Amino acid sequence: MILQNIKMALISIKSAKLRSFLTMLGIIIGVFAVLVMIAVGDGVKSQVSGQVSGLGTNLLTILSGQTSGSTAKNGQQQKTTGGFNFAGSVGASTLTQADVASLDKINHVTEVAPYNLISSAVVYDQLSTNTPYIFGTTANYSSIRDLKYDNGAFFTNQDNASSRKVAIIGADTKQNLFGSTDAIGKQISIKGQLFTIVGVTKKSDTGTGFGPGSDDVVYIPINTANVVTGSNQIFRIQAQVDKPQDIDSAQQAIKDQLKKNHGGQEDFSVLTQKDLLTTFNTILDLLTTFVVAIASISLLVGGIGIMNIMLVTVSERTREIGIRKAIGATSGNILSQFLIEAVILSIAGGLLGLGLSYLAGLVIKKVAGITPIFSVKALILAIGVSLFVGVVFGVAPAVKAARKRPIQALKSL
Amino acid sequence: MQKNNKNSVIYMKSLGKRYDDEAGVLDALKDVDLQINEGDFVAIMGPSGSGKSTLMNIIGLLDKPTSGVFLLDDVDIATLSPKKLAGLRRDKIGFVFQSFNLLPRLNVSQNVELPMVYARKSKSFRKKKTEEVLRKVGLLDKAKHKSNRMSGGQVQRVAIARALTNDPSLILADEPTGNLDTKTGTEIMNLLKDLNKQGVTIVVVTHNPEIGEYANRIVWVRDGLLHNKRLAQ
Repeated sequence: MILQNIKMALISIKSAKLRSFLTMLGIIIGVFAVLVMIAVGDGVKSQVSGQVSGLGTNLLTILSGQTSGSTAKNGQQQKTTGGFNFAGSVGASTLTQADVASLDKINHVTEVAPYNLISSAVVYDQLSTNTPYIFGTTANYSSIRDLKYDNGAFFTNQDNASSRKVAIIGADTKQNLFGSTDAIGKQISIKGQLFTIVGVTKKSDTGTGFGPGSDDVVYIPINTANVVTGSNQIFRIQAQVDKPQDIDSAQQAIKDQLKKNHGGQEDFSVLTQKDLLTTFNTILDLLTTFVVAIASISLLVGGIGIMNIMLVTVSERTREIGIRKAIGATSGNILSQFLIEAVILSIAGGLLGLGLSYLAGLVIKKVAGITPIFSVKALILAIGVSLFVGVVFGVAPAVKAARKRPIQALKSL
Repeated sequence: MQKNNKNSVIYMKSLGKRYDDEAGVLDALKDVDLQINEGDFVAIMGPSGSGKSTLMNIIGLLDKPTSGVFLLDDVDIATLSPKKLAGLRRDKIGFVFQSFNLLPRLNVSQNVELPMVYARKSKSFRKKKTEEVLRKVGLLDKAKHKSNRMSGGQVQRVAIARALTNDPSLILADEPTGNLDTKTGTEIMNLLKDLNKQGVTIVVVTHNPEIGEYANRIVWVRDGLLHNKRLAQ
């Protein structure tokens, strides 16, 4: 009987193709939107965690502002919601050159490198332009980040001390600016100043993406950067700890030292790579949830669309219901027929949405360089949700159909 | 009227149907006694508003009487649930309507199969039976045609084939020739007559006296009352 009902439903869906498609449209869009959002969110998360774990577990990042967790205020442990203080990371940095110097003396800390980000285009020969991340940093940044080179080497302490205009470029930047020709010794222009390329880093295996770890980068000495930008703020400090198991004690020691430097104010954060990841995931989860919630509204609208069309369909097919009842269909037969029709419409919509979102994933991968992840969970969710929508919004029309009395139904038309 | 010893398909005793609503009280049928036996060909005739449609609906189990007794194949239908009634309609009655008989989205054999689908007959049985009844009405070659591409006479033949599929106790036809030209109408009535000769009980509801001539018995309905008239057997 179910099988027959499915067959009937397919016949009536096929006999009104355009209307069936329009009915499904809401579900298609809803499932599509929800899936793409989830997939992109998951994709970004896995990419970032891949990059972060690629950075090593013995790195600490010190940044201006408070990021998360519990903050000591008025001597009390005050819980914050694990959120992120955007203002702290956007406003003027509280980190100074003195902080960098003081960290060098802390136990277990082997290397300390401050860095700034400079926003500028990079131009070669007035022809090719590129906008990589430009880092102003110190010579030991290379060993902290364990950079490898295709050609040349990182700049030296001497280069930094004399504010020489030298630059090391990432593999992608090199490809973008120079193609396959050699880059060493060539000059690139940053903020109108010419820099001589002394090194090209190897392509990292964590792929392209966000933040430090990307291959679209340029490194210049921090002193040179300060001259060029006219500012001597420090955006972040990276500290390397000798052994991963000492990371917690080093983290605490750095906190204490910086608090002393800053007159007792904890206007900075010391984060392990794991903390960074957690912070990032918190933000991303929040954003994803928010966007998915909005996209879910279209699923609701899609469900209402199915209900509307099915209600109209039931009225139009009153005569059919009458004939079916006259030749022996029970109310239950009619109910399941219309319910199954609604469910098939919405599941078909869900599957189409799924297919579309997969295609969109391929496009996003190509265009944005993010690899969306379609998990089995998302797939089950898509089908489950559309099944649910079909049943919930199919019940009212199906009940209406089943309640039609055969005489009235036969008299119509 | 005493229930006689013949196999009665329809047995009605003092049957009445009263509509009682805000428009007032209306007795559509009053004190109806009627027996239709196996193998009968009965025409129920009367002008519109006479109550013949009400009688047809009650015979077809689409409506229930408000008083009296109605036995269909010796089953008292008064106490049956809507689900049981649907089952009886499916198994005991074959409907043929005046128009819009078939489901236009389905092809001929799908239409014919439908009562057997509701009766949960097996696929192989449905196929065999569909062929059998389509052969009976001479439309086996049209099995895969869509009903909306067929003539009125053909549609009516398919409807008759569909009515036969569950081997019903009677075929109930409501103005079966109402939408057909005279020649096609005659063909349909001859088909019904043939089926009757093969033993199928047939009840035709009509206002057309010519149709009545095919029956071996005419039941006149006027103002909700029944007048029996037995013709030559």
